[in-house]
Amino acid sequence: MAAIPDSLSAAQPRADGAVNYDELIQQDRIHGSLYTSEAVYRDELQKIFYGGWVYVGHESEIPEPGQFVRRTIGEEPVLLVRTRDGRPTVLKNRCAHRANLVCMEDRGSARSFTCPYHGWVYGLDGKLLDVPYPNGFTRDRNQYGLPVLPLVDSYRGFIFASFNPDAGSLRDHLGNATRVIDRTIAMSPTGEIKLTAGWVKHKFQANWKMLPENDTDGYHVNFVHASFARVIRSQYDAAAMTAEQELKSRTIDWGNGHTEIDFAPAYPGELAWLGLPDASRYPDYVQAMEQAYGHERAHQLLHDGPPHTVIFPNLFLAEMNIVIFEPRGPNECVQWHTPLLLGGVSDAVNDRIMRQSEGALGPSAFLLADDGVISERQQIALRSGQAWLDLSRGEQREIVEADGSRIGHVTDETTNRGFWHHYRKVMTR
Amino acid sequence: MQTAVSIEEARRIEAFLYLEARLADESRYEEWENLVDEDMYYWIPLAPDADPQRNVSVTADNRKRLATRLAQLKTGVRHAQTPPSPMRRLLSNIEIERSANPKVAGAQEYAVAANFVCYELRAQSTRQLEVWPGRVEYGLRAHGDSGGLKMFLKKVMLVHASEPLPTLAFIL
Ligand code: FES
Ligand SMILES: [Fe+2]
Repeated sequence: MAAIPDSLSAAQPRADGAVNYDELIQQDRIHGSLYTSEAVYRDELQKIFYGGWVYVGHESEIPEPGQFVRRTIGEEPVLLVRTRDGRPTVLKNRCAHRANLVCMEDRGSARSFTCPYHGWVYGLDGKLLDVPYPNGFTRDRNQYGLPVLPLVDSYRGFIFASFNPDAGSLRDHLGNATRVIDRTIAMSPTGEIKLTAGWVKHKFQANWKMLPENDTDGYHVNFVHASFARVIRSQYDAAAMTAEQELKSRTIDWGNGHTEIDFAPAYPGELAWLGLPDASRYPDYVQAMEQAYGHERAHQLLHDGPPHTVIFPNLFLAEMNIVIFEPRGPNECVQWHTPLLLGGVSDAVNDRIMRQSEGALGPSAFLLADDGVISERQQIALRSGQAWLDLSRGEQREIVEADGSRIGHVTDETTNRGFWHHYRKVMTR
Repeated sequence: MQTAVSIEEARRIEAFLYLEARLADESRYEEWENLVDEDMYYWIPLAPDADPQRNVSVTADNRKRLATRLAQLKTGVRHAQTPPSPMRRLLSNIEIERSANPKVAGAQEYAVAANFVCYELRAQSTRQLEVWPGRVEYGLRAHGDSGGLKMFLKKVMLVHASEPLPTLAFIL
């Protein structure tokens, strides 16, 4: 009997029955079971979503003490709360008594949280303050708070947290990505961004990892978004849709799983990233930027625009949008997005950002609707889990920079390799 | 300020709504676009009381963007609708009023609202049936002596707009 070709063979499990990530993730290919296996998904929750740093929210969502937003980390419902002393904290949204959801509102303002089941009352810091009919409950109340996540830290307003007290420092996790966040914030002349327009949630019947992969894949743009290109002139024409030799944009692997498509080298002029031929539409924005950053740097920023960067594992700085990835089992995920509104600019600029956000992202968008169905088709084709996916494109022409980052052609899989090689490191820790 | 309409006007308006629904169900976008006025606004907010200046929407198309959306659907490579979703929608609880203060001065305009449910087969990917329930508000305007109607507003308030929504590349 002829040998079964490699492309049809199953990956070998380890002798102890655990998933063998070193076998499933190789330098230039990955195994399909990583997208379909329940065991892999459970491992990811433990190691990535509960073992490392994850993005939770932005300071502008909870400007005042008592304000909170509901979020999900992995599958854990949590509350991001600004406490009385002004510090952001992350609490599990689960009553310490009989595990009821303590808070049902998506956002709001509270002095305390009262569980609707039996009326236990918690402070904004999670401390148990009151138990109705107290004579029957004699335990130490300090043992019964809403669990507080041990690590909460922020970088320039972006709040991250971890369930794991040993996850290390946020700065170490972010690494080169701090500079990327700096670039996002620099789009505002006052350094303020406001995530206050609400969140659209787009559901994919696909594995969550297809979101970070696809969002920094520059190779698909000319094909998946062909219908968009035919009806809209956009910055992506020059940046991702011309002949291979003419494409000047780049893929970047920043390390730690953070990956970027850098469109700036292909932008023909200032504000190309807002879909404009030049900056003449918004003279007051230009002036404010010049005042804030000086002439030269202001015009560099107006030309280069915001980053298009995934910060591992669940945050995507999607140009003038902020995106969160939510896993929901091996076969379903949700991509949340909100427009990146700027402080210090006219309403007209923010209005354009809002409309551009609706055009690009979400279930009915000119772009993401097509990415969504492609991911779902991949998930269907991967249903058996028995497949190898190629990651080799552009290996031979990648450049390694002094800071450890790797640069590829915009159509190369530098970003996908960056994601997966970091993933392997996390999953085998 | 709004006032009631005659039986004949109501019949004409209902016929318009059913035609609009059928053309959308069958992805007949060229004919569907003929029903649309120059100041059309096609809007799927996250909440019924949302303000499009302050809140992001699922869809907020002015006439120009709507034309682009329809042109994209007609390219043949709009993957999210290739092949198009088979759909059928039901309209019910229709309420019609004549606008006392029309948007275009002197025009005969109607504010119409209805409940709807649309069943969509996601033929281009999951092959699952999706259910899209909600309330829809239309702004309609009578044109010329014949009183032919055109639509200048379609505000679709999905029951589950604020929850995770599947891809929605067709006209709801
Ligand atoms: S479950 Fe919350 S008070 Fe009983
Ligand atoms: Fe895409």
